[in-house]
Amino acid sequence: MALRQSRVELLGRIEIRGADLRSTLSDLYDDWLRGLLEQGDADAEVALVAVGGLGRREPAPYGDLDLVLVHDGGPGVRARAEALWYPIWDSGLSLDHSVRTIPEVRAVAERDAKAALGLLDARHVAGSKWLSDSLRAAAYEVWRARAHNHLPALAEASRLRERIAGELAFLLEPDLKESLGGIRDCLVLRALAAAQLVDEPDVGVRTARTLLLDVRGELHRRAGRCLDRLLQQEQSAVALAVGAADADDLLRSVAAAGRTVRFASDIAWRTVESELSRRGRWRARRRVDRRPLADGVVEYDGEVLLARAAEPAWDAGLLLRAAAAAAAANLPLSPFTLRRFVAESPSIPVPWPESVRNSLVRLLGAGHGAVPVIEALDQYGLMSRLLPSWEQVRSRPQRNAVHRFTVDRHLMECAAEASALTMLVSRPDLLLLAALLHDIGKGQPGDHSESGALIAAQIGAQIGLPEEDIDVLTRLVRHHLLLPTAATRRDPDDPATIESVVTAVGGSSDVLELLQALCLADARATGPAAWSDWKAVLVAGLVDRVRIEVSGATRPVPAVLPEQARLAVRLDRPTITPLRWPDRPTPSDDKAAAGSESVGELLVVAPDTAGLLSRLAGLLAVHGLDVVTATVTTEGTHAVNVFRVAARFGRVADLDVLRADFTALLAGRFSLAARLGAAERAYPVPADTAARVVWFDGQASDATIVEVRTADSIGLLYRLTGALERCQLDVRSARISTLGGSVVDAFAVRAADGGLVGDPELRRTVEQALLAAVEGKPA
Amino acid sequence: MRLVTAIVKPFKLDDVKKVLETIGVAGLTVSEVQGYGRQKGHTEVYRGAEYQVDFVPKVRIEVLVDDLDSTRVTDVIVEAARTGSIGDGKVWVTAVEDVVRVRTGERGTDAL
Repeated sequence: MALRQSRVELLGRIEIRGADLRSTLSDLYDDWLRGLLEQGDADAEVALVAVGGLGRREPAPYGDLDLVLVHDGGPGVRARAEALWYPIWDSGLSLDHSVRTIPEVRAVAERDAKAALGLLDARHVAGSKWLSDSLRAAAYEVWRARAHNHLPALAEASRLRERIAGELAFLLEPDLKESLGGIRDCLVLRALAAAQLVDEPDVGVRTARTLLLDVRGELHRRAGRCLDRLLQQEQSAVALAVGAADADDLLRSVAAAGRTVRFASDIAWRTVESELSRRGRWRARRRVDRRPLADGVVEYDGEVLLARAAEPAWDAGLLLRAAAAAAAANLPLSPFTLRRFVAESPSIPVPWPESVRNSLVRLLGAGHGAVPVIEALDQYGLMSRLLPSWEQVRSRPQRNAVHRFTVDRHLMECAAEASALTMLVSRPDLLLLAALLHDIGKGQPGDHSESGALIAAQIGAQIGLPEEDIDVLTRLVRHHLLLPTAATRRDPDDPATIESVVTAVGGSSDVLELLQALCLADARATGPAAWSDWKAVLVAGLVDRVRIEVSGATRPVPAVLPEQARLAVRLDRPTITPLRWPDRPTPSDDKAAAGSESVGELLVVAPDTAGLLSRLAGLLAVHGLDVVTATVTTEGTHAVNVFRVAARFGRVADLDVLRADFTALLAGRFSLAARLGAAERAYPVPADTAARVVWFDGQASDATIVEVRTADSIGLLYRLTGALERCQLDVRSARISTLGGSVVDAFAVRAADGGLVGDPELRRTVEQALLAAVEGKPA
Repeated sequence: MRLVTAIVKPFKLDDVKKVLETIGVAGLTVSEVQGYGRQKGHTEVYRGAEYQVDFVPKVRIEVLVDDLDSTRVTDVIVEAARTGSIGDGKVWVTAVEDVVRVRTGERGTDAL
């Protein structure tokens, strides 16, 4: 009773808090326990050892007492134990206890991961110091020898905790101890370091842990009980006690701490797995895989690293290129690489070069693989460096029960959800950017959609979007809540409702399509309560009504012929010639200013024969050139094609070799299938090749437009054009657009008889052929 | 006691809630529902274009009231929910045998 009273008095002194509270409470328990042990019969050689929180001298005010009574196996232990445990039980404290000899301690530590972990915190409290030291030595010895056996159980326990207690960083009422990224994970990190598998937790983790312990201490004090879940009702009082401005500020700090711990845990577990598998590999004498992923970026042993020749200091686009490659490959960026980016990356010139913007879109388009990569960038402060407005939404809590995530994580999740919807829209890049930015105004005064639209306009200009795209992006951010709000709260039969949506989308069906996809991605990323069939039907009904009132954008029918093309056609001379071509990069190049742009433009003029486009696309793919955009036209008997290309791995193709192969191709002496097959085998078609084929009638007088929307892959254009040609369609013109990781390829086609492609049966055949081509299957 | 149940168009919820508050109704239950009535298989024509309606999303509002208040409550709901076009919904009243407030155990009209 006396102890409980002393504890109440201590907790009543609110000036004692944080680490002071923990050490004072620890002293209080220690003195009391020492007194209890000394009162017992002194016959037996025993030691009282604290483990858990008390072992670390950081007990939670209403936490359990974890104690081990160690003995040498002599008589009288039972009496000593009873003399100790009964007063503790009688005092009303919750007690987790055991009585063991040193060999018993070893045996438990060998077979039980949780016990082994707890024993690492062993601290002598009273009795034989020698026994306590022996226990501690045994605990560490067993842990170092047996850690690898216990690691699978620890990893499984961590996954189980995530399922039960969620992730600390995103919950409105997180469990400070058990949620992923909480106090328990800090202990696991220390244990991994104790097993000499990873480094000791760094200062970031130690600071995060101190914050979580401080918050838990005040939570216990306010609640007057053992409460680890930071309930909303306690948040304001706890915020005041730990010096936070308010409950939101507190939750933001807790979320940031949780993220730091989670991130460090992920790295630690990755290191552990790699370390253990390396030991296995060393025995089996296996090789570590190295694979190029993008220009200057390689995969090495399950992580994404910079290639030897890559220089972040003068390649401003490298950071996002590496991030996009990591996300696409579903691999983590190496911490070493991230630290190099922090130290060496120059700021990206404003407006961003197109290649850098494309890398950002490619990153966002990678789906859920992008989330951990963006989290990693965020942890190293790189997201805020890329987009300064990001700082405002970092770890910002959302006081709304339908939201699962903090604002920044919601934006990442929304982009990931949007990546699955890119084939529904004609501008996947704008959908992904809008998904990333739609809530960027949260935390600003006033309506977040309005302030977000202003920020989105600034970011649009920063990343180099054209004016008309900035307008669309701004509309999407400003009106991202319009469809669900109007569909559920306004009369869909009222022309004013329809008119308001038409005005919001600027009368464009493409923007309407984008807004609908954004609305769906936003709802899916918010949480299960944010979307239902009920709402979906209402939104779809509204969109259907609005669609009648808006006009479709005209599908592109190119183009003005460059002078070289006219000349080549007049002279009837097949030509492949650069309109723009990057120099080979050298260290003296100011790549930071150029943004590592390796995009060139090629004019190709050749007699228009069946299959020409397909073969040209294949030729470019063989030379490691990705077609970013292409305009394909015919001039008399000649095809005139302009390809904007990017070098997939930064190696600019040799124009002389390309010309020689072009000549061989026209002469039928170039073995395209074999050469391309090798490239496709090295870089297979992505597994998730969702694709959509859309037909547009009435956009061109002499042709039908068929548009393919899907994810980019090596040789895709070659396969698509091949499929069209096998269906005996004549491609009159084409507009190839690579938007980040997505492509929107529009082909103006004519049927074999020279007419429009209107026959439903033929359209079905073409669609099947195109979809098979996307998947890399033979038609 | 009576249970007044109303099925109305979703965008009318705010109006209904407002009028119920003005006549002193202390609480109501709202759920998102889908169904159809007379307009089953109906194809609406909106500005010259056909628009197929299958199950139509509605909101269901439930209010427990004293016997004497049920007519008034029904009337204000009908008034607030009416647009005059098809699909405005329905309101019905059923008798309720007993009501218990879970927190206090109060019964009958005391629990309303």
